Order: sequence, then C-alpha cells, then structure tokens
Amino acid sequence: MRSRSEGSPVVRRVGVQREAFAQFLREASMSFRRNGLMTAAAVTTVTVALLTVGMAVAGSLNLSHLATTLNAQVEIVAFVRDGTRPSDLTRIETAIAAEPGVGAVRFVGRGEALARLQRSLGESPAFADLTKHNPLPDSFEIRVGDAAQTADVAAAIQTVPGIHEVAYGAEVVDRLVALTRAMRIMALLLTVALAVVAVIVVTNTLRLTVIARWREIEIMELVGATRWFIRWPFLIEGVLQGLLAAAAAGSVLLAVYAVAAARLQGALPFLPILPAAGIALPLMAAVAVCGIAVGAAGSFVAVRRFLTT
Amino acid sequence: MVQLDHVSKIHTSGVAALTDVSLRVDRGEFVFIVGPTGSGKSTLLKLLYRAELPTHGRVLVYGRDVGRLRAGAVAGLRRTLGVVFQDFKLLPQRTALENVAFALRVIGTPSTEIRPRALQALERVGLMQRANAMPAELSGGEQQRVSIARALVNNPPLLLADEPTGNLDPDSSWEIIQLLSRITVRRTTVIVTTHNKTIVDMLRRRVVRLADGRVTRDEPRGLYAVTV
Repeated sequence: MRSRSEGSPVVRRVGVQREAFAQFLREASMSFRRNGLMTAAAVTTVTVALLTVGMAVAGSLNLSHLATTLNAQVEIVAFVRDGTRPSDLTRIETAIAAEPGVGAVRFVGRGEALARLQRSLGESPAFADLTKHNPLPDSFEIRVGDAAQTADVAAAIQTVPGIHEVAYGAEVVDRLVALTRAMRIMALLLTVALAVVAVIVVTNTLRLTVIARWREIEIMELVGATRWFIRWPFLIEGVLQGLLAAAAAGSVLLAVYAVAAARLQGALPFLPILPAAGIALPLMAAVAVCGIAVGAAGSFVAVRRFLTT
Repeated sequence: MVQLDHVSKIHTSGVAALTDVSLRVDRGEFVFIVGPTGSGKSTLLKLLYRAELPTHGRVLVYGRDVGRLRAGAVAGLRRTLGVVFQDFKLLPQRTALENVAFALRVIGTPSTEIRPRALQALERVGLMQRANAMPAELSGGEQQRVSIARALVNNPPLLLADEPTGNLDPDSSWEIIQLLSRITVRRTTVIVTTHNKTIVDMLRRRVVRLADGRVTRDEPRGLYAVTV
C-alpha cells in the first residue's frame, strides 16, 4: 500500500484577514450600486417592515409607561367594619401591610374622608347635616407594588378580620393589563410576518448579485475557498441594506412620533405620553437589530443554493 | 495517492453512473480515463474532488475517506488538488495573471506572495509573456494553459483534468496533453478523462477504460481501443 504511507498534505485553516475584509466591503458596495433599483426596492420594503416594528416598540413603551404611571396611582381602599375600636385599627393595619404585594398603607379616618369628599364636591348646604352625622367609615388606602396583582391583593385584604369592604379601580387596571398583553402579542405576530416578507425581498435582491458572480463562486469553491469566505461579501451587502432601512425607518418614526406625541399631549394633558427623546434609544436599537437580522438572513438564503458543499 | 474501493454512484434520478469501480493510482502516475460520453468518467473525477458523494464504497484521496469529510473540510481537500475543465472556467474580466492570482487570494494567501507565485505558475505552463492578456485575447490552448496554471499554483500532489482537450483543435490538444504529461516529472499525479483516441494512442500511458460505469480495462501502456 504505497499510496497510504505517503500521508495527506496538511490542511490549512485560513481565517478572514483584514485585507480580505476590505475587499469584501468594496465588492459589496460595488454590487450595491450596480443593482441600484432592486436594492432600493428591497431597502424600501424592509423600511416598511421596520416601521411596523418601530411602531410596535413605541406603542409598547408607552403602554408600559402608562401602566407604571397608573400603578403609582391605583389604590385599594379597604373600609373598616363599623364600630371597630381604635385599638384594633393598628392590628388591622399591620395585617394588611403583611399581605404580599402590598406597598404602602395609609390610614384615613372617617373625619378626613368626609373633608376630602367635601373638598371634591364643593361647598353645599347638604354638608352641614353630614358633618353632624358622618356616614363614612374609617378606611385604609393601600398602594400595590404591581398593577397586574391588584385583584389578588384586594382579595387577600378582603379576608383580613375587621375589613368590611374592599374597593379599587378594578376595570381600568384589568383592561390595561389585558390591553398591554394583547398588543404585545399582535405586535409580535405582525413583526414576524413582515420580517418573513422582508427576508424574501432581500433574498431576491441578493440573488441577482449572487447570479452575477456565480462563476466566481464556482471557482472559489473549486480552489478551496471556505464557505464563510464566499458568504462574507453577500452578508455585508445584506446587512448594509438592513441598516439603511433601519436608519430610514427610525428617522421617520422619531420625526412623526415627536409631532404626534406633542399634539396628543396637548389634547389629553392627563395622559402620560413619553417624549420622543425617551423612546429614541430603544426604538433605534430595536429597528437596527431587526434590520441587521433581516439582511443577514436574506443573504444567507440567497447564497445557500449556490454553495454545493 | 488515490484509491477507489468497490465504488458505486447512483444519481438521485436512479441512473447508475458508476458500478463497483475499484482503482488505485500511485504517486507520480499519469492515467487516462477513457470511454464514451456517459460512461461515468466525469462522475469518477467528481468523487475525487468531492463534488459528488459515492452511494457505496470508499473513495480515498491521500489516504483520507473523501466521502466522510465534513462539509467544512471540503475546502481543505480542494486546496490540495487541482482541477481543470473542458470549458476552462476562467473569469472573463480578469487577465491571465489575475485569474491565477484569484485562486491564491480566495484561500487567504498573503498578498506579497500572490504575484510571484502566480507568475511562477504561468511560467510553468509557458505563458509568462501573456500574463496581462484577457482570456478573450488568448487562443483556446492558451486559455487552457491558464487554467492549468491556476490548478498548479498551490503545488498540489494531484491534478484532475476533465476532458481538457474537448474544446481544442488537434494541435492545441496535443500541446495540452504533453504539458499535463510533463507535470508528472515533479511527482504530481495526473488523472485525465478524455475520449480523444489520437492523443491516448500517441502518449502510450496507463489507460483505464470505463463502459456503462464499469471498469472494462486497465493497461499500463495502453491504447484507446483494444488491439486485436
């Protein structure tokens, strides 16, 4: 077996060198210009997809901001049973504070409650009578750590001995929590669907470049260029397209958002709306990450069919 | 150097390209693989540079089972052998020198080495003075020399040529075959597929004949057809 003993030539592993990388960048930008129209079409489509992603991010950020704001405002009011002795009030307060999820507990005496009612309703002759026979019970105002837990915390407080009734803005909180969840799911589904479309468009654009260079790819494979070496220029081209789309979508979104947020805030001053500066960073980051991912995925699919090994 | 053990290749279409082929080629040998179109010559070469995988049997190149190479190791195998084709496979917008240099560049050769090594390879095939010509300015024979220079630029121990004279006139064909035959002087193994009877009969080197995917003849100083 003479042929066996001759041994095999050493297989060298060659990484991507810096000069090769510069060459990849040149090739990518060259084909970028060559396939101008198709590239523009792909970038536009990805931009539209990223606009949706960005809107979802902006909406989601505002909803969580709203939830946080309401969180701080939502209170559970626990009314104390009539005729409870003042000495028992401390015991009840301690019991409430010990419930999990409870933030701050504040005692509101019946006198203070009446004064508040008076203030919010304004001076009225009927109050003279009320001050004599105050119908309001003593109560505790409880802040909850997480708005989503309000219902659970309220139910727990209901079981504390000495508590007659518990009230909170149940519907508002429940709906807000449900809305936030529904919106996140819808945004995710929409984003995935649009991402698939975007990947397909990028793939088709890059396929033009791949076809224009199929002979080079064929020879590169034959003479032993690694698959990564062959992929790099296309990967760079795809990622560039994604980044360009991300920059376009991000700027448009921020500009539109700044105007819309200011208008809305003017019309609905009580609504907590985040300023454009507050969402700029997470919005740009999300859009850029999605753009890069879509571009990279598109180039991968485009080259895959031409790699025979 | 190269060894096939009971190799069969059945294409996905169900066509059997090779059936139970066993073959050994030693270092520095020059072998013609002959046979009519469709007899499995090209498939045999493709198994060696792993453009195709055997359905049955083992294909050993430098003692390594090519059929079991990981996808990532194929590039490594290709760097250790040269392949030449009937249609040259040159890049039309690049000069002869650039075409040879391309093979070095895409496998990460340091840039200072590329030009001297590419020129050296062109010198080996006698094309130094046409280094800056575009493929379209070269004759068919000259283009094939460029592609041979590209195949040799990494000094592979094994050179595979698939119908290298298929597109050439008789004079150029003879030149190319003589060039390939001289390469074995440096102990490079050369395997050439052809159905060109004339050159096979003139050269009188080892001839392996394929018919319907089977080896029907293997003679050390053979002729294209059987001598009666």
